Amino acid sequence: MRHWLTRTRFCGVLLCLLALVLAGCAPVPATQVESGEAAMEPVEITVWLSQTAQSDCIVAESVDTFNAKQDEVVVNVERKATTDSLRPALAAGAGPDVVQLGGPVFAAELALAGQLLPMNAYADEFGWAELFHDWAFNIGVVEGELFSLPQELETLVLFYNKTVFEEKGWQPPSNLEEMISLAGVIQQDGLIPFAGQSSQCNVCNEWYVGEFMNQVAGPELVYQALIGEVPFDHPDFVRAIEIHNDMMQKGYYMGSLERFQAANFEEFTTAFATGEAVMNMEGTWFYGREGDYFGEGTTHGNDWDWVPNPSLDGTPIFSIGLGGTQSISKSSANPREAAMYLSHYFSPEVQGRLVSVCNYGTAPVRGVDEFMEGVDPRMQAIYSAMNDAFEAGGYGYTLWTFFPPKTDLYLYEELEKVWSGQMTAQEYLTRANEIFQEELAAGEVPPTPSR
Amino acid sequence: MTANPSIQDTSSRRTSFLGKGMEVRRGLLAWALIIPITLVHLVVVVGPGISGLYYALTDWSGIGKAEFIGLGNFVELFTEDLNFRAAFRHNLFWMAFFLTVPMIMALSAASLLAQIRRGAMVIRSMFYLPYVLPSIVSAFTWSMLLNPSLGIGAALDKIGIKGLDHPWLGDFRTALASIAFADNWHWWGFLSILFLTAMQSIPVDLYDAAKMDGANRWQQFRNVTLPGIRPTILFMLLMTAIWSFLSFDYVWILTQGGPSGASELVSSHLYKQAFLRFEAGYAAAIGLTVSLMAGCIVGGFTILRRRGWEI
Repeated sequence: MRHWLTRTRFCGVLLCLLALVLAGCAPVPATQVESGEAAMEPVEITVWLSQTAQSDCIVAESVDTFNAKQDEVVVNVERKATTDSLRPALAAGAGPDVVQLGGPVFAAELALAGQLLPMNAYADEFGWAELFHDWAFNIGVVEGELFSLPQELETLVLFYNKTVFEEKGWQPPSNLEEMISLAGVIQQDGLIPFAGQSSQCNVCNEWYVGEFMNQVAGPELVYQALIGEVPFDHPDFVRAIEIHNDMMQKGYYMGSLERFQAANFEEFTTAFATGEAVMNMEGTWFYGREGDYFGEGTTHGNDWDWVPNPSLDGTPIFSIGLGGTQSISKSSANPREAAMYLSHYFSPEVQGRLVSVCNYGTAPVRGVDEFMEGVDPRMQAIYSAMNDAFEAGGYGYTLWTFFPPKTDLYLYEELEKVWSGQMTAQEYLTRANEIFQEELAAGEVPPTPSR
Repeated sequence: MTANPSIQDTSSRRTSFLGKGMEVRRGLLAWALIIPITLVHLVVVVGPGISGLYYALTDWSGIGKAEFIGLGNFVELFTEDLNFRAAFRHNLFWMAFFLTVPMIMALSAASLLAQIRRGAMVIRSMFYLPYVLPSIVSAFTWSMLLNPSLGIGAALDKIGIKGLDHPWLGDFRTALASIAFADNWHWWGFLSILFLTAMQSIPVDLYDAAKMDGANRWQQFRNVTLPGIRPTILFMLLMTAIWSFLSFDYVWILTQGGPSGASELVSSHLYKQAFLRFEAGYAAAIGLTVSLMAGCIVGGFTILRRRGWEI
């Protein structure tokens, strides 16, 4: 009987396997530009974008408008979870042409590792230094070269349930003492003073660390600490953390520490909108979801308003935060085209549309005010007050924008140990200072806008 | 009997030659088929594994250049990192929990299921269903069920059963056990089906003989069922011990290691070091340490097997 595995079949199988291996090793086909077949074809560049509630709108207002207005460059959007997939992709020399990152800290890390392209030449060509506010433009400078442009300007304010406040006859607080006093009154009335959560986002603890440092100890002291002139375990910082801890222990946040730590975004926003909790110390990104919880479309019809986070002496302080940055990959084959797209993306027209149409935060660029038509007046007021504060030097520093990564992670993770009584505020900040000093010595602290 | 010995001799030698040729060809084919997956394995497992050994000895941030720092990461890990120690203790709790609670539940359920004939398939499917659900779905479901104002506790409170509307995931005293409870929900059903399958391979004669000897249900279970499925139990104990060091998804989805580090496992600690602190070298050292622990567990089982244990 002839065996099924004949010499011919055996050779055939081997050839097929060889072909498969060789196919895997084959180089990618030359691009049209390289082959010179179609020099008139538009250059394609790639942008990675995470899928969020606003991302379709952002693509429509930024990418689609860019592709429609010229025929030299086509921007292709790929939906990717950018946070975790970018780093290995860039390290492998792949990834998108335009690199979106979580903030200047991430951009500086990649810039120092040689993964991003210095953009000084494009900044000169497209006038980016004039387009951005000075402090914002300089945030992207690492070792004298520009590596990132800031997007989504953020700040933290005190949102309050206007309907409940009016019903109860309460006035929004204008300084820290008033806020703490009001919280006691609200609790006595059977309501929860502050909405909040940490189970779905314990990184959100950094909102509180940063705000209490800026509002209690003052932004000047935070600045001095960031440039290494005073330690982070300065008594004023300790006091700030103790005040916040005291509020947490009293159950001012979500009724109890345990419920605060078990709640998620849905629960705490619902509690805030329905009036179960009446204040919310949150960032301007709240505007992206407030429409789902407040207003005429809801069963309760409650309304919201805002005041600056109450500082110790009542001076309005707006902490600067950036929700992300944009850079050009070092391995981009078409960096100038990527810079063209960035110029379009950061134009005041597009930024204005991102706010008014997408409820997204604007980049810190000049001239956006002219394109804010249709934006909720309350948000316009926040942007206006924020810009005034920036001009007058009344700005503070958010952790995610100005603190180096290890210090940031430590501050928001270990804060819960102060709440649970596992360490004191002093011990917490002493260790934070040790970590910060190491990062400062290693040159890992992002550029700090001077005062 | 053969008429012509010379013909037989030639034929035998020829058959032998053909057999050897066939064997060689089969061997070559086996190699040819295994080479592609071996190459892939070398690239995606062995390569990163070896590079992980190197990076564990560096201060690599995850990108860019890595500076060799010798055993610096391990010194920090074992002498300074209190969070790693806490996470390791939590992992020991986790391992103890999963080596006992789901095992007992699964064995009990399997032995009961083995006696059911009618509707057995439906019940088995119900037990198995949670295992095939994505962990993101199960975890989110449990985060809602354990929520003090929306979950089971709140519902029971409304009908007069008090005290269960506790923020189980928000209390540092109950967070880890609550996550283990949720993870166990998806795990024990799978174990019970596995044990049931093993039980069905035990000869019925053994039970008949036990009954004739007057053994009651418990004695049958202890003296027939358990010895009969011992290899399966021991294998699952081994795998559970190893997997307990790899658990990540439920912890990350439900609490991200909080509150105040109360549910931090070594895996979530590792993730934070690599992707939030940008200390990939240090994370590699943690990963290597965990691998060594898993290696010790496997080594322990191997020693027991050599000593005659049926594992």
